[in-house]
Amino acid sequence: MKAILIWLVRIFPAAFREHFAAEMTAQVVRDYDRARSRGYFPAFWFGMATAADLVRSGVAEWVNPTWARGRRTPVEERGTAWTVSEWTRDLRHATRSLKRTPSFTLLAVGMLGLAIGANAGMFSVVNGVLLHPLPYANADRLVHIAASAPGSDFPPEFGVSAEFYVQYKEQSRLLEDVAVYNSFTSTLRVGDRVERVRMSWPTNSLFTTLGAKPILGRLPVADDGQGTAVISYALWRSWFGGDSAVVGRSYDISGSSRTVIGVMGPDFEFPRDGTVLWMSNDVHPEQITPGRFGASLVGRMVPGTTPEAVANELTTLARRLPERFGGSPAYARLIEQHHAVVRSLEKEMLGSVARPLWVLLGAAGIVLLIACANIASLFMVRAEGRQRDLAVRRAIGAARSQLIRLQMSEAVVVAVLAGAVAMVLAWLTLPVLLRAAPPGIPRLDQVSLGLTTLAFTLAVALVSAIGCGAIPAFRGSAADLTQLREGGRGSTRQRHWARDTLVVSQTALALVLLIGSGLLVRSFWALRHVDPGYDTSNVFTFQIAPEQAALTDGPSFARFDLDFMDRLRALPGVESVGLVENLPLNEGLRTTRFRTEEMASGPDAGTLLSYTWAAGDYFRTMGIAVFNGRTFATSDHVAAPSNVVISRSAANLLWPGQDPIGRRLQGDDSTWATVVGVVADVMQNSFRDTPQPLVYLPLVGPTPNSWVLSSPAYVLKTSRAEVIAPEVRALVHEVAPEAPMYRVFTMEGLARDSMVQLAFTMLTLGIASALAMILGAVGLYGVLSYVVAERTREIGVRMALGAQAEQVRGMVVKQGAWVVGVGVVIGIATALLSTRALGSLLYGVKAVDAATFVGMSVSMLFVGLLASYVPARRASNVDPIESLRGD
Amino acid sequence: MGPKNESGMSTLEYHVLLALANGPLYGYAIKDAVADESAGTLAPRAGSLYRVLARMMTARLVAEAKPPAKASPHPGLARRYYALTAAGRDALGAEARRLKRTAAVAEKRLGLAQGRS
Repeated sequence: MKAILIWLVRIFPAAFREHFAAEMTAQVVRDYDRARSRGYFPAFWFGMATAADLVRSGVAEWVNPTWARGRRTPVEERGTAWTVSEWTRDLRHATRSLKRTPSFTLLAVGMLGLAIGANAGMFSVVNGVLLHPLPYANADRLVHIAASAPGSDFPPEFGVSAEFYVQYKEQSRLLEDVAVYNSFTSTLRVGDRVERVRMSWPTNSLFTTLGAKPILGRLPVADDGQGTAVISYALWRSWFGGDSAVVGRSYDISGSSRTVIGVMGPDFEFPRDGTVLWMSNDVHPEQITPGRFGASLVGRMVPGTTPEAVANELTTLARRLPERFGGSPAYARLIEQHHAVVRSLEKEMLGSVARPLWVLLGAAGIVLLIACANIASLFMVRAEGRQRDLAVRRAIGAARSQLIRLQMSEAVVVAVLAGAVAMVLAWLTLPVLLRAAPPGIPRLDQVSLGLTTLAFTLAVALVSAIGCGAIPAFRGSAADLTQLREGGRGSTRQRHWARDTLVVSQTALALVLLIGSGLLVRSFWALRHVDPGYDTSNVFTFQIAPEQAALTDGPSFARFDLDFMDRLRALPGVESVGLVENLPLNEGLRTTRFRTEEMASGPDAGTLLSYTWAAGDYFRTMGIAVFNGRTFATSDHVAAPSNVVISRSAANLLWPGQDPIGRRLQGDDSTWATVVGVVADVMQNSFRDTPQPLVYLPLVGPTPNSWVLSSPAYVLKTSRAEVIAPEVRALVHEVAPEAPMYRVFTMEGLARDSMVQLAFTMLTLGIASALAMILGAVGLYGVLSYVVAERTREIGVRMALGAQAEQVRGMVVKQGAWVVGVGVVIGIATALLSTRALGSLLYGVKAVDAATFVGMSVSMLFVGLLASYVPARRASNVDPIESLRGD
Repeated sequence: MGPKNESGMSTLEYHVLLALANGPLYGYAIKDAVADESAGTLAPRAGSLYRVLARMMTARLVAEAKPPAKASPHPGLARRYYALTAAGRDALGAEARRLKRTAAVAEKRLGLAQGRS
């Protein structure tokens, strides 16, 4: 607010500022601070009143300068001054004249209010989410750190290992502080309440790096070892009722007893995945096994450095890791290829949500431009209606500036009313917008209509007023005396040209939005019709994490799972049941090296493949096609040696052109497994994925403790997927009363969620472009109607001379088509340059998609012709006698 | 800027001149003096105040003055002091006399009005 006020001083002419700006700024700042110390409201009112005063005086100083440095004679003050009384008189006059034409006023205020409201709403989201994404001090110095190894078979970017943290923490000179953390879902028990919650296991430096302080208790220190935890504000309120006695008590957290030592503030959400608990940790460099990648790093840069410089330093530091921590030759090779990835934490957190938000704010801006063009057009028609009135005023001595003022004040009144409408609209619709917004947008819960949004709305309204009013006002004030001649028509050509330009730009802008939303609709369509390799319909899924004395190793968990699946299958309406460790659309996959017998031996040989575990009728339940061989039988799950099922792309990778059934595969535990089946590839993370080559392992490994599946996802094929949850819950309570049921979904729900960001953007942009098209059509209709009314006499003459109705219609439609046609051409050109902004939102369609461009251009032309046809009909109904009798 | 009266001097202009009649003042002090002397009815905002000052400087009623010797040292921005010119003093006197006359007329009329009822 203060910055805006200071900025507003610049409205004054340079000569005036040269002498007075410093003092004015000082006064504004001092008065603002005084008002601010009395509270938000006084500050707000002071800000609004001062802004109005600065704008008014600044503009007045331009129109009628008071400051004439070095000029000897005093400026003539009387007669042309723009004083408060005259200003209020103008406004009163404008209000009266707007009241006389309520339909015009309602239309203009409504249209502009809608457009400004859309901008206010989008701005408040952008302001809260994009401009202030992190609640930490000096957040611009916080960076996310990951690893990359170009040329290796590792993913383009991956999490680091603990030894990176040790090295960076001890030796980096460009990082003030750094922390490493892992996040996972685990069980929290407080009395009778047992749930699976998101937990994080950071180094204690996480809190110092971010600069976060607890609101209660203290932060973990090295002496705490691994025995303490800090909880989130949300957990404190919901589980402990906000009782401060929680600090110092111990609870069963992720399988061991830990003491709660602190409660973080409501702002502290890190990482932003619903983490409610942070366990204390101490890293012992001598106990680190190098090469266990996957952890996340966050660091704080020293002031004045850049992420690129930090990345270079960290890359150099990492080169020395093998010599300090050892590790395999493969590890040493990887480190040689390693490049640190350092990105601002804000960027990392916003990730993919920034782009759609900017696109939507841009769309709202375009709708505003179109609305302004429409209203300018309306004002021009209005000004034309009073050409004679203005000419008379001019003739009896009104200054041009007075006429401009008179007309501008109407625009100002409309814009201010529209601003008020906009705030109400934004206030009403923002909660709806926020509810409809896709999950994963950081700090969305803190978005509200604050002072900044109010100031923004006010500024937009004022700019719109200037935008809507300027052309008509200047044009109207130029009224010449020829207007007064009997029957004078004045020069209409010039005014047509201005109006045509407005329609052309409206058409062009509307078309850009239409093409953008058309591309998103096509992407959505393409995603809906992607074959992900599984069938999401009628599948219910959930997880449990049983903790029973009998469940100690792989085989015991396998027996539990097989029995449990039998019980699930007996539920009414359940067709088949299976389980999987990493459910598509919900969890990512792990990767490791697999080696075939044909490959060379040695620890570094092999191919990096994803793997997971599956059992029961998993493949049938998910509708994953079996191409070759068979899927797991119960016997595969109870005894070694293991059999595995692989995906088709894994088969093609390992044994290209050969039959993989019966071949053997070795994982990183160096035991061999036989391939018994080949199944379809699946898209694991989203429908935009390229399927990863995947190996499915059975429940039981070569030894009882090779692996233990303690919390797999169960999948049930049933037409009752939406309603079966209570029955499953009852069964879980019977079989494993100690185990909370979590990650309860239908696969269709997960599929919907995975597309919700695109769906939201598509819907919002769709609404914006529909609005733009309607406004554009209304603008065209208005202009052509006016032209027809103006040419009634000419048309009457033409028809009296024998012109046919079709010819007259054709003439008007042609004029409309010409204007819309030019708009469409410019719109296409603009869209060619701007649809790239949609970038990663698009799927299966290019940013420059001919079909969408042509389709949308044709619809725009069609709507334009429709809008011209109504006035054209009216023109062809002109009665020649009536039209000539006029005047 | 307040409403204008017959002589062409607005209430704010009058009060600015009045504030300077005591001796040179800097901008913010003028603002405070105006607010005090108008009993709070005028609280000039930056834009209006400095336009009035500019206008009166252009009209040679007010001129920039040397800071008074006893002015307290002020950190940061160097303060500009403004003072009345001879013409400014005359204009203020004329306006004061005019106000006095009109006030007398008003009192007289109000007195008559009261007497009648």
